[in-house]
Amino acid sequence: MGCAYHDEHPPFLTPSYLRQSRHVQRLQRAWDAHIAELQENLQLLPPPSGPPSLSTSPSNANLSKMHASHIHRGPVQDVIERIPPVVDDYAVHPLPTRLSADDKCQGLEILADGGEVRFTGSTKQSEEAASVRADHPMPRECGLYYFEITVLSRGKDAFIGVGFSGRKVSLNRLPGWDTDSWAYHGDDGFSFACTANGKAYGPKFATQDTVGCGVNFRTGNAFFTKNGVYLGVAFSGIKSQRLYPSVGMKKPNDHVSINFGRSAFMFDIDRMMEQERQTVMADLTTADLSGLHPPDDAHTLIHNLIGQYLAHEGYIETAKAFASDVNAERQTLPSSSKTPLHLPNAEDDVHAANRQKIRRAILNGDIDKALKFTNCFYPHVLNESRNKDIHFRLRCRKFIEMMRNYTELSAAAAASPPPPSSNGHADGADNGGVDIDASEPIDTQMELDDQLNRESAPPNHPSSTTSPSSSSSDIDMDASQELSPSKASLMAQNELLAQALAYGQELQSTFGSDPRPQIKKQLSDIFAIMAYTNPNESVVGGLMDAKGRVQIAEDLNGAILVSLGKPSSAALEKLSAQTEALLDEAATRTGGAAAFVNVNRDFLRA
Amino acid sequence: MSSSTVSPQTTYSTTMRASGNFDKSVEEMKPSKSDINWLIMDYLVSEGYPGAAEKFAQETNLCPAATVETIRERVKIRTAIHAGKVEEAIELINDADAEILDNDSLLHFQLLQLQLIEIIRGILANNPSSQNIPAQDFLPAIQFATEQLSPRAPTDVNYQRALENTMALMIFQPEKMPQEFRELLDVRLREKVATDVNKAILSARGERAEAKIKQLIRARAWAEVQAREAKADLPAHIPIGLDVADEMNGDAVMT
Repeated sequence: MGCAYHDEHPPFLTPSYLRQSRHVQRLQRAWDAHIAELQENLQLLPPPSGPPSLSTSPSNANLSKMHASHIHRGPVQDVIERIPPVVDDYAVHPLPTRLSADDKCQGLEILADGGEVRFTGSTKQSEEAASVRADHPMPRECGLYYFEITVLSRGKDAFIGVGFSGRKVSLNRLPGWDTDSWAYHGDDGFSFACTANGKAYGPKFATQDTVGCGVNFRTGNAFFTKNGVYLGVAFSGIKSQRLYPSVGMKKPNDHVSINFGRSAFMFDIDRMMEQERQTVMADLTTADLSGLHPPDDAHTLIHNLIGQYLAHEGYIETAKAFASDVNAERQTLPSSSKTPLHLPNAEDDVHAANRQKIRRAILNGDIDKALKFTNCFYPHVLNESRNKDIHFRLRCRKFIEMMRNYTELSAAAAASPPPPSSNGHADGADNGGVDIDASEPIDTQMELDDQLNRESAPPNHPSSTTSPSSSSSDIDMDASQELSPSKASLMAQNELLAQALAYGQELQSTFGSDPRPQIKKQLSDIFAIMAYTNPNESVVGGLMDAKGRVQIAEDLNGAILVSLGKPSSAALEKLSAQTEALLDEAATRTGGAAAFVNVNRDFLRA
Repeated sequence: MSSSTVSPQTTYSTTMRASGNFDKSVEEMKPSKSDINWLIMDYLVSEGYPGAAEKFAQETNLCPAATVETIRERVKIRTAIHAGKVEEAIELINDADAEILDNDSLLHFQLLQLQLIEIIRGILANNPSSQNIPAQDFLPAIQFATEQLSPRAPTDVNYQRALENTMALMIFQPEKMPQEFRELLDVRLREKVATDVNKAILSARGERAEAKIKQLIRARAWAEVQAREAKADLPAHIPIGLDVADEMNGDAVMT
């Protein structure tokens, strides 16, 4: 297992204190997308080695086999080099991950994949030094940025400066001495803000010491830490953009390691981050709501938002109950300032009722009913090309529901004790223990049948003996009444499996030729369910979860709303999205307080 | 160079692009329906809308975070406070969880203060002329204050101040009452106390004291201020989409 390119691409770096950062979460998503893209390209490559027969085989089976097999390292690297990594995109402002191999002074040697730097040159003149910068500037969208260095030099006379500087600052000097550069120097403990005249700031630091440097983009302050101890604000009014973490040194064999968050920090930066967040959240509670939807106060605004959402989404019963609860509350309210609330009435909307029927059917797992309702009430919706994917996913969901029915029936059959008539261990069953001996033959038989079914109808043989299409999912229970319950259940199970299989074949023949990789992937994912005796607890268990119904139900509802000429999202959804977008706008421009707020984490969950 | 190079067309399309860009990024930030459903359930439960919470659970397959009974229990307390029946509310709170008022002396004091205010309000209401209310009419209020509130006052200067202000209600003639005293008689104080009591019960049960949707709408207002201060390129007005007219504007920008 494992993919070769992971050796080349170190895992995405998320410093602990930025785990909840919106910006870093977005970088991570871009990274994941990039990795997925790499994977796709990898699959398209002709196999560099292996039997030549493979490369001439056109079948899907061989393609996936090829993907699973080990691929020679060489071409993989080619692919990586050909596709520029998304995270290097200048616009997305990635995190610093290592010391730059290029943006450094001569005489510096970068070691440990950019995690260490050593001065190999000769002693510099008093005015001269050798500095290196990180690969990326500190993104102010993080709100707070922090890194640490540890001095590894031998001997006591290390001469190190740590801080940050702009791209154009000379690397022949220590950071802090020139315009657009700030640093804390170990030889004297002074801080330098764009000048060679330092100010007494903290203790000296040398070999074995760990020094941290942090910039708070909300306050514009920078601070340092020594061996985990906060040393106070060193600089304020930091406004420049694109400041790179930087470290400089003067003595031969000066040697420093740098930690951009791959390992734990000595200073408790997580706590500082949380305090910053609390400060911002406290400021947020003072926000003036009067401009959002005049003349609503907070109470009324929330009622309007919820009422509109319920009506928009077709939650008719809830909308009714909400209106009645709210009005009951209003009657008890003593203050007369509140005007009676007119919540949108979902009942008037025949579409709301229709949409609710469709949603209910999907949430109950009855995809056929949902398709029937949709085609009856909104015949055009599923035929529109923009809704093709929703239609596809509904049909995939139907397959999943068929497999769920099958699994439930199997589980029920396995759980219920075999009836006395079918075995001679009735006394044993009375002991209260599970009669494994008695149920085993049935299970074995079942598995065997499953296997037979699967082997008799592989997806690439559509003309198998099983029924080619299954428009009805009803099981002929009348026929099985005469048989013993376990036998009947067994037959019902096999019937369900056969129907699911036939439906799967139908799906494959309808969508199998779709060139898009996500379609192929979804198909192979759902067909994989059939391979497991207990899919719920297998790697495909997530697909089987009833929660999957919610998303497709909501997507179909949205598509119907659009077809009715209504906005696909309600005001409450819009308000949430606007909040996120506005926070982004603010954070990208100033890296201020907005960087510390995360809509998903802070407001949309417990 | 010259002003002629900037045609009205350019200006127009630039502004269109700006608002279009913002609308597009809003579109990309859409939360999932299940997140919004969670947000609503959270509100229905914590702010006490039991009927709606029950139906919403049925219609969305969501589990409510609390049973309908516990929500109704809180609603009953809220209703009692809104109606000025503070004594009844205190009993109901003690029925729900006797430790709440034992552990939260400030809340207990606020409830007793409200009870005193309600007694005074009753006396004032019984004397519509309000010119010369016989002093003995105030006796029940004074008795309540000495028995229930004055033992608590010395423990905290804030309590002491609050008690003094409340007692002053009996001294001023209503029409000459200064604003800060008049506020005590404002019925909105009941709503505030009811909200505080609800929060206290929720936190006593280990639940979040404030519904997240309240924070979300504040965050929305706050974020706009932040973005405008940062000189972000935003439409002059960003409607939240509650009004039909807003939607039509939004569509006009999109096309």
